[in-house]
Formats: sequence, structure tokens, C-alpha cells
Amino acid sequence: MATLEALLIDLLLRVTDLQQLNAILGDPQATALITGGLVAFAAALPGTFLLLRKLAMTADAISHTVLLGIVLTFLLLAALPGLEADLNSPWLILGAALAGVATVLLTDAIQRSGLVREDAALGLVFPLLFAIAIILISRLADDVHLDSDAVILGEIGVVWADARSHCLQDCQPLEITPDDPRAETGRRCTNCVELDIGPRDPAAEFEEYCLNCGSYTAAEAWRARLVPQAPTLVFWPRAITSMLLVALLNLAFIALFYKELKLGTFDPALAAALSLRPALLNTALMVLVSVTAVAAFDAVGSVLVVAFFIIPPATAWLLRDRLAHILLLAPAGGVLASLAGYEFSRGNFLGIAQMRDLLLMLDEAIGLDGFTEWNTSISAAIVLMMFLFFLLAWVFSPRQGLLLSLLQHRARQQHFAEQLLLGHVHHHQGTAEAASELAHAGLHQHMGWTPRKTQRVLARLRLRDMLQIEDGILQLTARGERSVRRFMALRGTSGASPAAGR
Amino acid sequence: MNQTPALHIEDLTVAFDSRPALWDVDLAVPEGVLMAIVGPNGAGKTTLIQAALDLIPRAAGTVRIFGEPVARARGLTGYVPQRGSVDWDFPTTVQDVVMMGLYGRLGWLRRPGADERQRTLQALEQIGIADLATRQISQLSGGQQQRTFLARALVQDARLYFMDEPFAAVDAITERAIVTLLQELRARGRTVVVVHHDLQSVPDYFDQVTLLNVEVIASGPTAEVYSEDNLRRTFGGRVAGIARLTEEAPP
Repeated sequence: MATLEALLIDLLLRVTDLQQLNAILGDPQATALITGGLVAFAAALPGTFLLLRKLAMTADAISHTVLLGIVLTFLLLAALPGLEADLNSPWLILGAALAGVATVLLTDAIQRSGLVREDAALGLVFPLLFAIAIILISRLADDVHLDSDAVILGEIGVVWADARSHCLQDCQPLEITPDDPRAETGRRCTNCVELDIGPRDPAAEFEEYCLNCGSYTAAEAWRARLVPQAPTLVFWPRAITSMLLVALLNLAFIALFYKELKLGTFDPALAAALSLRPALLNTALMVLVSVTAVAAFDAVGSVLVVAFFIIPPATAWLLRDRLAHILLLAPAGGVLASLAGYEFSRGNFLGIAQMRDLLLMLDEAIGLDGFTEWNTSISAAIVLMMFLFFLLAWVFSPRQGLLLSLLQHRARQQHFAEQLLLGHVHHHQGTAEAASELAHAGLHQHMGWTPRKTQRVLARLRLRDMLQIEDGILQLTARGERSVRRFMALRGTSGASPAAGR
Repeated sequence: MNQTPALHIEDLTVAFDSRPALWDVDLAVPEGVLMAIVGPNGAGKTTLIQAALDLIPRAAGTVRIFGEPVARARGLTGYVPQRGSVDWDFPTTVQDVVMMGLYGRLGWLRRPGADERQRTLQALEQIGIADLATRQISQLSGGQQQRTFLARALVQDARLYFMDEPFAAVDAITERAIVTLLQELRARGRTVVVVHHDLQSVPDYFDQVTLLNVEVIASGPTAEVYSEDNLRRTFGGRVAGIARLTEEAPP
């Protein structure tokens, strides 16, 4: 991890300077933005496959049960001698991945028993595991920084605070020995405890010892004012590194096994028949989902992370109907939504409106009791924006959008009404009853339409030169005649073999 | 007949939760024949195919494909699952689905290239849906879906094919296209095992037939084993579909 961070810092310093880099990495909002974007990118990739496998809610279950994996591993580390219980330990990732896979296996086992259905099996397993985790946290890990609020909502705003320092210059570690001129000495009582006396007791004996001896990193040495020259430091938030690693891992996995994942998702039976191990790949996918959920845990918590897995792919699916396109579009859309959501949390709604102005207006209009400060959770704002994007895609999608199908429906109805009228004229033209049937004045009664609709259809047909009115009688033009023929020919064959398609 | 059978199943039992779906099945399919598997709902027809392909665990018995264990004969078999077994809303094209038949030959990590595209197009042409190559699969009719699956089996270029209800709910034109394809496959010496539900067409389309109802009731050349008596034993007396058969084919 540290090496990767050093490498990244080295790269970044080629495009920016130290001061700017530290300003960005130390800025709560900038780091929240970067982390949110990385979570969105990393989650959308496996999320696409979850969505296609109808496993959307499995993502929700896993994002909760990984907590049990974390807690159990943490307690195990604390119990085992020689290992340090640390919330940044890589072992926690392993524990979380195991918990995620266990969730899926347990759900499958319950479902196979035939007693409950799949959705209920999931509903049984994940609250159980999550509840155990919550109890363990509150009972056993009270002193640890793991509280239920953080677990549920995440703390993307304080990602910057948990950083690792990287020293770039003047990085000599310092060893202070008792002979060092900077060593400070103090006295301590050697027999006070033994004799149960105070240090002021005349029987007390003392020895001298060094107060500040030991080894210091350059940063610690500077903080303790042991060196005159400040080392050059970069504080790199840990969450950015872990999210970046997970994003790269997901990207590599899906790029490498794209073909196998596609077949295993579309037709697992064929994948198995071709020896492409769909079950193994499925487990691998669940491991990735678990690892992603854990890495995203600090930032967005366990409840909202499911949105990062599911909404961007669902949005992309509304817009495109090729898997490869969805896999490109979903992460991009997720990152964009993170950006918009981050701005939204600061009160800027897509650059269109300021929430503060809006709230002030509402306050004046209906009275919000002075609730005019717009200050909201970044992760919640991102999820809102993801949903807004989804909504926009749903309404405006050129593929199957609401608006489009509405327009198409309207156009079909208009076209049909036109053909009906043309057919009516065609049917009665030149017959004895033409004078009454085709009279412009009484037409709407013959068609059974309102006069307004009749006039509208007529106007459209006349505009397109398909119909003319001569002495108050409707007549087909040559174009109108052709249109009627075409429509009737089409109708004649359309009923015969709808499924043949050739 | 001393040739190795294309498919040789011995003492095969498959159970779901100790309820047998197949019981002590012995079956030999000679190379180069079209065989129908016929039986009532729940007779274990699909289970037989899946067990023969090692897709579900066997409780007992052995399966040999051209004398080899199934795992070593993967390249020799092609599989056409039931049309309803996949989600046709999946975001992909006809061409792409057909190309999936080549994934086994490609193996792990390798991507389809120009050669694979060429084979795919050939299969699409052979089966008469080349014009649908770039069509999104959710826009296909039932018959077109079935043809897509058949084209996918075709590119696998297998010696032994298993097809699960390819004739289910397809129109007359597609049915004829499938029959033509089956005959072409037989002419090229391929073996095809087909789960079939239309009792009347069995003698027209298939050389051999297996009557299955958890156990094998009868198996062999259609002319010999496809009798009213055997059908009654398979379906338990409820056989409306064989009226024509008994009229037209006196023993």
C-alpha cells in the first residue's frame, strides 16, 4: 500500500506541486469527491453483472454481512498473540470476502431446502449476520472506532483525516540516546510502589532516566521539535488507496474474464458444458462485491453502497443494449453522478439552482421555521443524483424511454386515424351514397369522431396532398390512393405468419 | 455394430433429494443417428441430457461419449438448452450469442477474432438468419430464438449434439428449418439426441427413439420400438397423440 502511494505521489508531483497536492489531499471536500468517484467506478463494474444476474439485492445483503467478517476477524486478531488488531489490517478484507461468500452459500442452502423462496432466504440470512455483527460491536469492541452510525451511513467527509504520511525530503529518522544533547532527563522513584510511599517520603529513592529517548520518524521528530528543519511530507488518505486498488482489481478481473462472465451470466448451463467454470466465476464475482463493499464501507456505509452497485448499471442499461457499452457507460455515469452529488451536497443543484436560494424562497412562501441552511450528507446526495440520472434516462432514453414510447404511441394513433379516413373515402368513392358518406359537413358523424378530431385528421391529410375537397365532397388524390393500397396490402399479410420473420 | 457408440450410458441414476428422477438408465446411441427422447412431463428427459453432459451430479452410473469420460469429451459435444432457460432481455446480439458456442474451443482468456466471426456468419447463413446478425436478442420471435440457439450449436462443430425441445412452440417454417438441419447433420455423420414432445412426428423425423419415464421403457430403431403398447407403458394409457400412428403403421 505504502509503495503504491509513494508511486502515485511521485506521478502526481510531475503534474502539480507539493503545496497544491497537500491542499487537495487535506481538503475534506476534494477527498470526498475523489473517494466518491472511485467508489462509483469500482462498484458499477461488478454491479452490472449483479444486475444482469438478477442479484441486485444480494449486493445489499453482502454490503451488510461483510461487517460480520470484519468484526470477527478483528476479534480474532485481538485474541491471537503476535498479531495486531488494527482496523487497517489487510486480514479484515479477507474476513469480509469470506463473509460475503458465506452469505451467498447460506442463502443458496436455505433456498435449496425448499422451505422458503430465494428472496425470503436472503431476507433471513443477511439480517441475522448483520445483527450478530452489531451485537459483537456494541458488546466487545466498544473501545474501537466502529460505531453503528458510521457503519450505516459512512463518513466520506472525514476520509481525509485517516491518512498515511509520506516523507519526501529531510527524512532522516532520529535516534535519541541518553548521551544526546537533546535528551531530556527526569527522575523517578524506584521503591515508591514497593513500599507504598509517596515520592516526598524521605525513604524514597530515585534514579535518573531519559524522558524522550527512542527512535523517531522524521515527521515525529519534527513534531517533537527535535530537528530544526521540517521534513517535506505528503498526507495521503488511506481510503483513496484502497478504493483505487479495488477499482483496478475489478477492472482487471472484468477485462480478463469478460467473455467467461458474459457466457456464465447469459447461459450458465452452456458455460459449464464448455468447461468454463461458471460457479467458480460466480464465487469470484461475490468476492469482488464483498471486497468492494468493504473498501467502500468507510466512505458510504453499508446501506447506500447498494445504490453504487445497481443504479448506474441500471441507468446504462436503459440507454444501451450491448453489454460492452453498459460496462463502459455505467462507471462513467457513476463518476458523473458522484460529481453532481458532491456539488448537490454543497447546495449546487446541477449548476441550475442553489439549494439555499430555493430554501429561502420556500421559507418565505410556506415557512420552514428558519430551516434555510442546506448542508447534507455527501453520500446521500450522490445517491439522489444517481437516481435523478436514472429517472432522466428512463424518461428520455432513445431506446425505450417513456417519452419516446409516448410519442411513438401518439404517432401510431395519428397514422391509424389517417388511414381509417382514407379507407373510408376509398370505400365509398364513386358509389351511389358518396354524396352523403363523403360530404365534408357530416363526415364526423360517419366516422364516429368528434368534429375537432375529424378536422385535425383532414387538415393533416390535405397538407400532405392525399385528400382534396371538391364541392364539399372528399376525394382521394393519386398519393392518397397509393397510401390506401399500401396500407391494405400490409394488413393483408401481417396476420398470416407473425413469427416467421423472414 | 462393433463400433463405439456415440453415447453410452450405464446404470445411470439421478436423484433430487432421494427422489429418483432417473432410475437405472441404460442407453446406447450409435454414431450417425437422430434419436428422439420421448416421455411424459417429469419423466427425466432434460435430466438425462444434463446428466450425460455432467451438468448435474449422478447418484450412480457411468456415461461415456465416444468411449471417453464426459470431462475428456467436452470438445465433442454440443448442447442446445431449452429456449426458456435463458433471459432473452440480456443486452447482446444474435451474432454474439452464436459466437458463444466457440468460447469452449477458445478456452480461458482468449478473445474471439476474425476466424470466429467468420465461422459465426457461416452458421448464421446456414440456418437462414444471417440478416438478424446484429439484432438485439430481445427483439426475436420464438422461432428466431430457437434458430439462434441452433446456430450456436452448429458453430461448436460437435460430433454429438443434445437438443432440449428445439421444436417447442416454433412456427411451421422454423420446424422445417430444424428438420433440414437435423438431416444435414446426419448426412455429415453427426449424432443428435433430441428431447421431443410431438408424438406424431417422431417416425417422420427420427431413426431411433428412447421412451423414457424415469426408467427406460424401450430404446432402439423407431420402426421396432415405437409401438402403441410401448407408448401406453410410457405415458400410462393417456395417449391421444398416437391415434394416427396406430392407424397408419400396422405392425
